[in-house]
Amino acid sequence: MIVAIMYREFLIRSTSLTWAFFDMVMPLVYLLVFGVGLDKSFASGIEAHGTMLSYKAFFLSGVLSMASFGIAINTSYGFFVDRDNGLFYEFLTYPMTRSQFLVGKILFNCLLSLGQSIITIGFGVILLGVDLRWEHALLIISGILFGTAGWFFFLTPFALRIRRNDMFNTFINVVYFVLMFASSLFYPLEQLPGWLRTAAYANPLTWHTDVLRYATVSVGQPNTVMIEAFAFLAFMCASFWFSVHTLHRGVLK
Amino acid sequence: MSDRTPAIVVEDLVKVYKEKSSSPVRALDGLSLRVNAGEVFGLLGPNGAGKTTLLRILTTLTRPTSGHVEVLGYDLIDHGLEIRRKICVVLQENSVELFLSVWDNLLTYARFHSIPTHERKERARRVIEQFGLDDVANQKLIDLSGGLKRRVQVAKVFMVEKPLVFLDEATTGMDPINKRATLDAIREQSRLGRTIFLTTHILHEAEELCDSIAIVNRGRCVARGDLNQIKALVERVFDISITFDSISDSLLNDLQCLPLIKFTRNKNTVEMSVKGEEFASLELLSTIAKGATVQHIEVTSATLEDVFVSLLGGSRQ
Repeated sequence: MIVAIMYREFLIRSTSLTWAFFDMVMPLVYLLVFGVGLDKSFASGIEAHGTMLSYKAFFLSGVLSMASFGIAINTSYGFFVDRDNGLFYEFLTYPMTRSQFLVGKILFNCLLSLGQSIITIGFGVILLGVDLRWEHALLIISGILFGTAGWFFFLTPFALRIRRNDMFNTFINVVYFVLMFASSLFYPLEQLPGWLRTAAYANPLTWHTDVLRYATVSVGQPNTVMIEAFAFLAFMCASFWFSVHTLHRGVLK
Repeated sequence: MSDRTPAIVVEDLVKVYKEKSSSPVRALDGLSLRVNAGEVFGLLGPNGAGKTTLLRILTTLTRPTSGHVEVLGYDLIDHGLEIRRKICVVLQENSVELFLSVWDNLLTYARFHSIPTHERKERARRVIEQFGLDDVANQKLIDLSGGLKRRVQVAKVFMVEKPLVFLDEATTGMDPINKRATLDAIREQSRLGRTIFLTTHILHEAEELCDSIAIVNRGRCVARGDLNQIKALVERVFDISITFDSISDSLLNDLQCLPLIKFTRNKNTVEMSVKGEEFASLELLSTIAKGATVQHIEVTSATLEDVFVSLLGGSRQ
């Protein structure tokens, strides 16, 4: 059943190559334009967790977590497309559990996220000379897959409960803005004001980015990163439970 | 043919929608009904009667507030997945993959219902032919008319063989030829022993297809039974249409003195509705016929529509 859902997601994605193209290259554009620009501004590099490194190396993990978040957003928008097509409720009468429905939906998009990350990392290493820790490849892959799934499950209850596309759009813009800038995505947290640093440490996007940063360029304390990894997994599981619960009870009241 | 085993049992079902901005809406208010396996069951009722809410509950889309529901022997609350494995549903809203072709819509649906790969294409070919979709098979649904989209949506459920089929206003928006094809397909499904649960506003469809009928209003079942039992619930009404050679003033006076509940005249044709037993109507006709030359006469008994209007508080006039 999960394969059927994945295949359907593939079919839908393949009908909009423009969408798929931007999904694949947008993070790369971010890295090349934003990352390179700031890299030149911080020519001497930046310090994070006591390690000096180039901004582009620092920012690579930020781009990867943005990419996961972006794909999760697009996948959650899929609920609105399904609703417009009238298919959403029909899917819920198909012979599958609510969990299978959600897992199938995100699995294909996790693969898309992985493909996108390979392109971004490839360009980061080849064009920008980022010194990637290849021995952490498994951790990078896990970070991308679990990150995409975690953010999708987080957004699902909102996509299901907010009935209007425009309201969901506004909600996403606000949430994304707050989560991005109150996190370690763009800058190290050490120099931030106390209140913002506290907010950032409580932000799952920080946990996700820190794990990817450790995996890509070995910045961060392994123990702290491990705690952040488990915290993100707990966040993903809680979000998944809440999404399934929403599908069970909240969809049609 | 019904084997009298219940496919659906609904007992004292209540569904209350709690709205933040207004008082709670009691969509189903202690509704009870039973659908036997293998029969075509028609659920009728005016807008807002609770038909769609009941269908959503039976297809596991929403949960009841209270009451007991069994579908194919499974308790609805505890065995949603088992129920979904044995049903297929055409919802009232259009539900098609707009950016996929007709062909891909059918194949994707079959894939979701675990039809083996080698059978999918064969079934899709059969269904495309059955529903006259050959000319548009490779077109995307977004490019098709509303009626064709609906046809594809209905056609999908004929890709699979499930014991229980739910059809919510299935023929809405279809032209008469496709409506006929759909009704034939439903009848064929019924002959194969499947239980068909349909909601419709088109009463002659229900009259034509259904082995048993329930009429719901304000969340309650107000009538239930086979067509004859339902018709027997209202006082017998006969519609009589008579065309005379000519209508004299005295004949017209005689006619208007009769205890009719409706009388209209169009040139030499009069149309009347009369309450009473069959023999009384025949007596009436013989009285009229004595005074004039009758060219054409037609007597029809109550239709489901008459029953519907009568039970739901409307007037035949």
